[in-house]
Amino acid sequence: MLRTLFFIFCALFTFGVLWIKNPFKEEEKAFTIPKEYEKIIEDERYAKEGKEIFKLYCTSCHSIRYDGVYHTFAEGTEKLKLLKQMSPYGDVVLRANYESAFAKELKALKESFGRVPPDLSTIYLARGKEYLFNFILNPQKVLPGTQMPPLLAGQPEKVAKVVSYLRSVSLPPSRERRKRTIMGILFIGYAIILGLVMFWWRREYYKEKCCLPEER
Amino acid sequence: MEKILNFLESRTKVITFWKEYMIGYKVPRELTFPYVFGILSLIMYLVQLTSGMVLVMYYKPTTQMAFDTVNFLIEKYVPFGWFFRNLHAAGANFFMAVVYMHILTGIYYNAYKRPREITWILGWLLYVLLILETVSGYVLPWGQLSYWATVVTTEMPTAFPKIGEFISLWMKGGYELGDIALGRFYSSHTVIYPVVMGVIIILHLLLVRINGISHPEGIEPYDKESGYPFFPYVLLKEAGIAMFFMAIFLTFVFFYMHPFKSPDNFEPANPLRTPPHVAPEWYLLLYYEVFRSVPNKLLGVILFGLILFLLLLMPLLDFSPKRSARKRPLFFALFVVFLISAISLTVLGTLKPTPKNAYLGMFFTFLLLLFFISLPIISLIERREKNA
Repeated sequence: MLRTLFFIFCALFTFGVLWIKNPFKEEEKAFTIPKEYEKIIEDERYAKEGKEIFKLYCTSCHSIRYDGVYHTFAEGTEKLKLLKQMSPYGDVVLRANYESAFAKELKALKESFGRVPPDLSTIYLARGKEYLFNFILNPQKVLPGTQMPPLLAGQPEKVAKVVSYLRSVSLPPSRERRKRTIMGILFIGYAIILGLVMFWWRREYYKEKCCLPEER
Repeated sequence: MEKILNFLESRTKVITFWKEYMIGYKVPRELTFPYVFGILSLIMYLVQLTSGMVLVMYYKPTTQMAFDTVNFLIEKYVPFGWFFRNLHAAGANFFMAVVYMHILTGIYYNAYKRPREITWILGWLLYVLLILETVSGYVLPWGQLSYWATVVTTEMPTAFPKIGEFISLWMKGGYELGDIALGRFYSSHTVIYPVVMGVIIILHLLLVRINGISHPEGIEPYDKESGYPFFPYVLLKEAGIAMFFMAIFLTFVFFYMHPFKSPDNFEPANPLRTPPHVAPEWYLLLYYEVFRSVPNKLLGVILFGLILFLLLLMPLLDFSPKRSARKRPLFFALFVVFLISAISLTVLGTLKPTPKNAYLGMFFTFLLLLFFISLPIISLIERREKNA
């Protein structure tokens, strides 16, 4: 009994520590967002507005390929239209095709900024809302020496809407999330019920032979 | 129905096989809970295999396409692609967890002793293949963490003078990690390792059937006829437990995926920028800490190999006539030392590399090796006890 308890404690302790001290867990929240802007970020209704702001301020350097939003130099060109037509994924053009089609323009961007400004399709998952909100609001404060200009400095509401848009690109929409939750509950419920059925079946099977072997 | 069965029986002996290996196969009455980890490992192998098959359909192993196929195609475009990716990513961790439990159970009940040495060696091979499988699978999403973790892995052989450079170059297929390396890791992750593992798993299971499962009380040979029949008694019980295990696993798959998908890996691989933290996954932290706490790189690699090698040599090191930690107080004490040092090394691996942690790491590495070194000594003591 003591041994069993000891081993259970060891297992719980190890996985508990790994859970808490996960080296990949989200960065310690070094940045904060005022409550009112956090609400905007988490509200999907602002994503559409955010997209317009993004197109206005950000697309000269950044693209969001997973949502079919491309650089200003690419939008409207014949090349992009062709790429979209050939793409099997609707408006989404994969990196390999996009970068080879617009290699010249991207190279020019690299020359003026030192590196090609990244595509932001998954940036929300990589950095989180706290980082993004503060970074867009004041890039130099968060990452000194960065080439990103403070285009939206002093306009926290617009920044929040842009982050809301970035969030909507990275995370599945709330309807889809609800579906996944229901699917999860059904799967887990099914596993538990099937587990119980297994034990019940074993019991029934041995009823004919008076009892389970362990009860004999 | 009977006709079909007779037809199959006359041609494939399937019923004889079923009777012999499922109903006729008896397990000891004293079987304890940890014996279930064997079947859980098998189930996790199958989960990884099936979810991997779906992922392979959409994944493209080139540096230009890998990131997009994982994060757009599988995650967003393909219906239920996210589900299979989550299954595969969380499954790797659960697979490793149950395999570690299975190994510890084997050590605790001395399942490596005569006549089960080959079963142990095959199991060891499976463990090594599984480590290679996780390492090669890690690179495939081609995110920042994938890239830099693989840089570290492929740099490890350079610790060896002269031939190290060559091995590292051979692993990468060039001086830089690129398409060739990704292709190699992809092919080994999806074809070579799983197929070899599948074959070894079949042999491993067959040997368990032939030699019988190890007795928790260390009785050998035990009366096989007095035990429980594997089918339906044990199978239904283990299937029930496996379903509860699956419920826990699915809870993570649907609701708590964040520990298994690192934020850093949502940025495409960038050879010019190192991510803020490069550390292996939890199941390799033990070796990582050993590697990190030893001041010399070559010594670190040697110790890493030595621990694996000593694990293989368990049947040779432990030649005591007694079996099972339940009947061997000395062995039990050593096992606790082994367990505590393994856990401590894993926990230390999650902490920052300070000099104090390095000393602690060295101390626990010593304790871990002490377990293996002491095995022949306690075997001698126990042999003398028995002869006296």
